[in-house]
Amino acid sequence: MGNKQTIFTDEQLDAYQDCTFFTRKEILRLHGRYHELAPHLVPMDYTNDPDCKLPLALIVNMPELKENPFRNRIVESFSEDGMGNLSFNEFVDMFSVLSETAPRELKAIYAFKIYDFNVDNYLCKEDLEKTLNRLTKEELTPEEVDLVCEKTIEEADLDGDNKLSFADFENMISRAPDFLSTFHIRI
Amino acid sequence: QSYFLFLRFLVVLNFVSFLLIAAFVIIPSIVFRSVGSNLANSTGNEFSKLHFNMSWEFCHLDLHLYPPPIHSMGTAARVAVATGGSAVGNYSMIVFTGWDFGCLGDRATRLKQKNIHYRLQVDLEEESRNKRAAALTLCQKIVLYSLRIFMGFVAFGLIIGAFYGIFEATNFSQKMSEEQGILGLIIEYLPSIVITAGNFMVPLLCDQIALVERYSPSTTIIVALLRAVFLRLVSLGVILFTLWSQITCEGNTSSGDCELCQYSHRVYPCWETRVGQEMYKLTLFDFLINIAVLVLVEFPLMCLYCVFVCVRMLWLGRQEFVVPSNVLGLVYGQTVVWTGALFCPLLPLINTIKFFILFYSKKITLFNNCRPALKTFRSTTSTFFFLVVLLFGWGLATRSVSPCPHRIHPSMGCGPFRFFPTMWSIVPTSFYNLSKTTQEFLFFIGSQAFSIPLFALSCVVMCYFIALASVYGKSVALLRAQLKLVSCWH
Repeated sequence: MGNKQTIFTDEQLDAYQDCTFFTRKEILRLHGRYHELAPHLVPMDYTNDPDCKLPLALIVNMPELKENPFRNRIVESFSEDGMGNLSFNEFVDMFSVLSETAPRELKAIYAFKIYDFNVDNYLCKEDLEKTLNRLTKEELTPEEVDLVCEKTIEEADLDGDNKLSFADFENMISRAPDFLSTFHIRI
Repeated sequence: QSYFLFLRFLVVLNFVSFLLIAAFVIIPSIVFRSVGSNLANSTGNEFSKLHFNMSWEFCHLDLHLYPPPIHSMGTAARVAVATGGSAVGNYSMIVFTGWDFGCLGDRATRLKQKNIHYRLQVDLEEESRNKRAAALTLCQKIVLYSLRIFMGFVAFGLIIGAFYGIFEATNFSQKMSEEQGILGLIIEYLPSIVITAGNFMVPLLCDQIALVERYSPSTTIIVALLRAVFLRLVSLGVILFTLWSQITCEGNTSSGDCELCQYSHRVYPCWETRVGQEMYKLTLFDFLINIAVLVLVEFPLMCLYCVFVCVRMLWLGRQEFVVPSNVLGLVYGQTVVWTGALFCPLLPLINTIKFFILFYSKKITLFNNCRPALKTFRSTTSTFFFLVVLLFGWGLATRSVSPCPHRIHPSMGCGPFRFFPTMWSIVPTSFYNLSKTTQEFLFFIGSQAFSIPLFALSCVVMCYFIALASVYGKSVALLRAQLKLVSCWH
C-alpha cells in the first residue's frame, strides 16, 4: 500500500497495536480525532513522543461523550492525574477499553472505577446515589433513591460491609448478560 | 429490535422453504405441463413415475423445516439458563448495566433515562404490592381469589364464544360459496373477518377483565399473553376442524355424501385446493388488515399530532409499538402458512413477500409515528419466548395436517395424488420402484437387527448427557455456596 505516514514510527504503531485492541488504521484515525479537538495544541508529528495533554473540558465535548451522564467520570478514570487531562496514550486506552473487543474483566475494572465517585476503591451508598441520579436525571424521589441503593447493596454485597468492593462488583457483573454490549462506545 | 430480528428470521425461513418446494415441485410441474401434451401417449408411464416422486417430496418437505429454529432456540435457552435466575440482582443489574454507553443524541439519552426510571419504578411498585398483598386479611384474600377464578371463567367463555363465531362463519361461508359479486367476496372472506374481529375485541375485553383481577403487573402481562396466544392459534385450529368435518362428513366416511369416495365429493370435488384457498385467504386478509391499519389509523394520527399542537395534550398520545401482540401476529401468519403449504405450494413465497413488505412498513411506521412503549420487553428471554410460541404454532400445524396423508382420501378430480387411496401410499409405491440394493439397505435399516441397537445406543447417549448436565448443575450450585461462604468469613 505504501502509504507513507509520518505521525508515528513503525515501532510506535506496533506498540499501540499490541497494547490496545485497535488496528493501525484505527489508531491513525484516533489520532486525527485527538488532533481536531485542539489543532493548535496537538502536534501532527508524534515520532518523538511529545508531552501533550488535553484538558477535560475539550474531551467531554466529543459527540460520543457529550450526552453521556458519566462523561466526566469516564475521562477522569483514564487520566493519570485523576483530573481528566488525557495524553494521547490515555485517550487511546480509554476508547480501547470501551471498544467491542475488550474483554469483560478489563471492562469491569474500569466500570468499577467510573462508578466510584469518591475514589476510595469501594462503591458506597453515596456513590450509588450519585450513579442513580445521573441515570434517571434526578426524577426519582429521595425515598426511592434510598430504597434502590439499599436493595442494590443488599443484592450485590457478599462480605457484609455495606459497600461494594471490586470482588462484589465483578461477581455481579459476571451474571449480567447485557454488560458487554452496553459498556461499549463506538468511535 | 428483537421483533425485527425475529421477523427477519421468519422471512429467511419462508424463503428457504419456498426455494426447496420450488426446486422439487413447481419447476418439474411446469416443465411437464408444457411438454406433457406431446408425451402423453408414449411416455405416460415415465411421466407418472416422475410425478409420483415429485408428489412424495412435496408431501414431506414442509414438515421438516424446523431444525434451524430448534437450533436457535437451543442457543437462546442456553443463554437464558447460563445467566441463572434473572430475579437475583434485579436492581443492581439495572443500576450498573442499564445505561447503554453507546447512546448518542439528546433524544435517545432522554428516552433511555425515562426507560430506566420506569423500570425502577415498576420494581419498586412490585415490592410495595407484595408487602400489601402479604398484609391482607383472610376474608379479603378469599374474596380476591374467588373474583380471580370467576374472571378467569369469563375470559375463557369469551374465547370460546369467539371460537363458536368462527365455526359458524366458516360453515356459512362454505355453504354459500356460490354467491357472486361483492356479497360473494364478503362471504368468502367471512372467516378471516371474524378471526380478525375476534383478535381485536377479545384482548381488549381481557384487558378490562385484568383490571378487575388485580394481579401483579408482570403476572398480568404473562396472563394476557397466554390468552392471546391461545386465542389466535386455537382459532386457526377451529377453522381446520370445521373444514375437516365438512369434508369428511364429521368423520363418518360411510354416511350419505361420503360413501362413494370417502369424502364429500359433491360439495368438494377438489378439497385440497379448497383448504389451500382458505389458508391463502387468511394470509392475504391478514396482510391487508395490517397495511390498512398502518395507513388508515397510524398515519392520520401522526399527521394530526404534527399539525395540531393541542392534540399533544390529549390522552391518546402517540401510538405505541407493542412488541408482544405484533410478534403474535407474525407467529399466527407463519402457522397459517405451514398449514397451507401442503395444499398450496406458492404460499411460502407469498408469505416471504408479505413479511418483506411488512418489515419495511413497520420500520417506517416505528420511526415516524410511534414512541417506544414504556413497558420494555426483556430482550434476553424474549427471543426464547418467541421461538417457543413459534414451536407451538408449528406443532399445531403439524397436528392438523398430519392426519391428511394417512386418513383422508385425496380428491379424485385434481392434485398429484389422485390415483392413490391415501397420500401416504405413495411412499410404499415409490419405495418399490427403487433399485433392489437400495430396497434391501432400507429394509435392513428398518429391521429389528438395526433399529434395536440404534435405540439402545441413543438411550445410552441421552443418559450420558443427562448425567453430565446434572453434574454441571450441582457443581455450579456448590461453587456458588462456596463463594458465599468464603466471602462471609472475611
